[in-house]
Amino acid sequence: MRRTTSPISPRTASFALKGVAAASAVAMLSACGGATSGDVSGSDETVNIAVNGWVGYEASAAVLAHLLEEEAGVKVEQKKLDEQPSWQGLNDGDLDVIVENWGHEDLMEQYGPDGNDTVVDGGPNGNIGTLGWYVPEYLVDDKPELATWEGIKDNTDLFQTPESGDKGEFLAADPAFVTQDQGMINHFEMDLEIVHAGSEAAQITEMQERYEEEEPFLAYFYDPQWLHNELDLVHVEFPEYEDGCAEDEDDVSCGYPEYELNKIFRKDFAEEGSVAYQLLDNWKWTNEDQNAVAKMIADEGMDPEEAAEKWVTDNGDVWKEWIPADA
Amino acid sequence: MSAPTVTSETPESPETPGTEGPGGADRAETAAAPAPEPAPALRAALSRTWVQAAAVVAVLAVAAALPLPGSATAFPGGPGEALDGWLKELYSWVVSNRDTSPLFVYGFNYLSVYLGSAVVLISDLLATLTWTGVAVIGALGAWRLAGWRVMLVVAAAFAVFGLTGLWDEAMLTLALITAAVALALVVGLPLGVWAGRSDRVERALRPVLDFMQTMPAFAYLMPMLLLFGIGNPSAAVATAIYALPPAVRITSMALRGVDKGAVEAAESLGSTRWQMLAKVRLPLAKRTIMLGVNQTIMLGVSMVVIASVIGAGGLGDAIYQALQKGDIGRALEAGLAIVMLAIAMDRVTGAMGAGRPLPAPWQRIAFAGALVASLAVFLLPTPLRAPDGWPRAWQLDLAGPVNAFYEALKDAIGGFTSLVGDWTVVWVLEPLHMLLAGPPWWLVIAAAAVLGYLFAGGRAAAVGALSLLAVGLMGQWGNGMDTLSQVLLAAVLVVALGLVLGIAMARNDRLAAVLRPVLDAMQTLPPFVYLIPAVALFSVGRVPALVAAVVFALPPVIRLVNDGIRGVPANTVEAARSLGSSRGQLLSKVQLPLARSALLMAVNQAIMLILSMVVIGALVGGGALGYDVVFGLKQNEFGQGLTAGLAIVCLGLLLDRMTQGRKNNA
Repeated sequence: MRRTTSPISPRTASFALKGVAAASAVAMLSACGGATSGDVSGSDETVNIAVNGWVGYEASAAVLAHLLEEEAGVKVEQKKLDEQPSWQGLNDGDLDVIVENWGHEDLMEQYGPDGNDTVVDGGPNGNIGTLGWYVPEYLVDDKPELATWEGIKDNTDLFQTPESGDKGEFLAADPAFVTQDQGMINHFEMDLEIVHAGSEAAQITEMQERYEEEEPFLAYFYDPQWLHNELDLVHVEFPEYEDGCAEDEDDVSCGYPEYELNKIFRKDFAEEGSVAYQLLDNWKWTNEDQNAVAKMIADEGMDPEEAAEKWVTDNGDVWKEWIPADA
Repeated sequence: MSAPTVTSETPESPETPGTEGPGGADRAETAAAPAPEPAPALRAALSRTWVQAAAVVAVLAVAAALPLPGSATAFPGGPGEALDGWLKELYSWVVSNRDTSPLFVYGFNYLSVYLGSAVVLISDLLATLTWTGVAVIGALGAWRLAGWRVMLVVAAAFAVFGLTGLWDEAMLTLALITAAVALALVVGLPLGVWAGRSDRVERALRPVLDFMQTMPAFAYLMPMLLLFGIGNPSAAVATAIYALPPAVRITSMALRGVDKGAVEAAESLGSTRWQMLAKVRLPLAKRTIMLGVNQTIMLGVSMVVIASVIGAGGLGDAIYQALQKGDIGRALEAGLAIVMLAIAMDRVTGAMGAGRPLPAPWQRIAFAGALVASLAVFLLPTPLRAPDGWPRAWQLDLAGPVNAFYEALKDAIGGFTSLVGDWTVVWVLEPLHMLLAGPPWWLVIAAAAVLGYLFAGGRAAAVGALSLLAVGLMGQWGNGMDTLSQVLLAAVLVVALGLVLGIAMARNDRLAAVLRPVLDAMQTLPPFVYLIPAVALFSVGRVPALVAAVVFALPPVIRLVNDGIRGVPANTVEAARSLGSSRGQLLSKVQLPLARSALLMAVNQAIMLILSMVVIGALVGGGALGYDVVFGLKQNEFGQGLTAGLAIVCLGLLLDRMTQGRKNNA
């Protein structure tokens, strides 16, 4: 399916040649008498993009891969894995870029200029990330106060399920995501029990099923996310985020901050300043752009490559300015 | 822990999808042989045991009902926090020293480079041959090694890869499994030979292998990432670790099983030790060793989905991606491709182990000629190569109809199933959870010790109590009790269903013939495929996790019950019949008691397999220890993931010892 990104692409050079190359690479390493983790990476002309497991990210990566290959003539490999291992991949030289990063100050401390000094912040990618608590619109139509934390607090019994016992159920997401829900529940003294869906797929399935039956639910969710095209969800209002309000993870007095989603580069990749880097550095688009591609992938069942190609064909004016002059 | 031991050492383990393997006859004999007719006195003792066990549970129930403060029931937190802090430091050290410490520069990083290159080399070879080349050479090889029937199975597998549009993914997965299995065999076979020749090595290795088999793979994916980096090297090592134990165990067992007469004969001819091994023992043990290889491959296949979490692409990743979009049909297509890959590899290695007679010389020459010719055809730019991949026009859309069926199923029974799910949580799971989490921790440990003593003797009591204590010391008491309650309920369900279906299968040959391929598919289909439908039907929480665990653990239990009952000697059954036993009497008084050892093994297997689903169940709301393992992996909380994984191992130890029965101590 992902023909262009698979490591066994038909365009692969002759097997025999590659074999010799790999063998001599190993031999050279032996000659040098040691291998650092950076040596593990492939050849220089390939750009390795981390692909984290949500559709919006996949959409961004697919469009960038398409442009890099078709417009800049660079080979691209997309490696699908979780957020934290992606940072490690940058550190080890297995990856060159994370195209949509949500926060992760702790990882920046570990791998950034103050730590291993192997990754750099590549600046905002234009997408604005919203995290927070969501309820379905039909609930708010019924009880408008449910769009605020006070309303949730007064109506926790509405969300009660067998799994949450005598408290209301708060549906939490994939364990990989950034959360402060328990701290908020503690601070605002809400009678809620967190039920961990354990994966994004399970959480989305649960939300779809409840939505279909018009049952109540309260969930941690985010935007941009393709599910917003399918379900009408309302973001519950909390006191606005300000510095320090989320410092103590057991007592959080505010909602989630808005995230200016950013790119993270492998430091050497950024410093070499290749054409590929310039394109990635120039790239900046809006939530609408990303959602347009994500919708084609998630709702219309298109391959990410097909969706990217279609978007690129239709939006020349948007991406033309990302292409570096010397590409 | 000998649960996995028992399975792997039975020539045909229940994990083998192949059912017509060569071990069938021996298996039936072993199942029936060691069961003596239970004396009335024993039965009286047994009933007393159950009364005593019920009393222990009653004490727990009373304690759980008492309004005790949390400080009295919860395990003290100190030791767990200390351990967690220490593990965090270790983790930080590794992160900052990976490129300077000689351990990495001269050790792990090298292995990583070699392994990564191996996977790339194999997958490049497969890509260079193109799909037409792989199909022709694969079919030729299957024919030469395993005969034309197996060749048809292999061809069917290739067809499924192509028709589902997953050819490239399947080849990548094949490359990864090949590299991982090679690694597992390079390490495992020599270890197995060593263990087969030395009792001390065997004894030393056993607990290590037990540990490798019960430690959830998710828990060591994190350390793998640290040691070997992301992607194929880590995935190959993790898969190899998971798949290694049967290679060691079965090789050791095979060498021990070599006919004494043959060995003595060779010794009397003055063979050296090396000659004895190379010319006598290994060739004689070859058939059984191939079963170990076969098991290693099967376990490797079952790791592919999990390995995709750390960046190994292929079929596992295709499943993951499809589920992310709620596309059950697509996930099932990829699942089907994995099932076909597993069955094809199983049949080929199974037939190799069966020791087919060598083909006639002209056939061998024809084969060699055909192989050389096809290599030439597909490595040179001839028109038979298909560098553009499997034609898109030749793809079948299975996903559409499957999704339509899935929607219809949800509409038809979704309301009913979610009621059943709610009822299960309120009336069964939560009371059981409170029974374990409600009383003070020391009372629960004492109860485990008493129950262990009643069912399996003093050693089991000690091991069980210590395992539970370790769970508490690692700071996982609360989660441990939650997980334990879920595992116990799943085990009861699996054993009950397994008994009913196993008995039905043993009595009806036609049903058995229909069930066998279904069981094959159930065992090789990655559980990820049915996790999301379980959520849709039962809603997020412990119930879909329970359902997935039951589906996963059921097939081997059905098989063991079936084998056990069929293994009861025919003349015993005839004798009972002639004395006028009804079918029910025959079953309860003759067949089940005689199949006792097989049934005990079934219970033990059920629990071990359910434990292996704890982490996967957490992906749909199982929570508890499984959630901590996943959280640890995804948030780089090394300590949390590792202690939760170790706690699962401890629970495994406890339950395994309790369900092995008294045979070791009597």
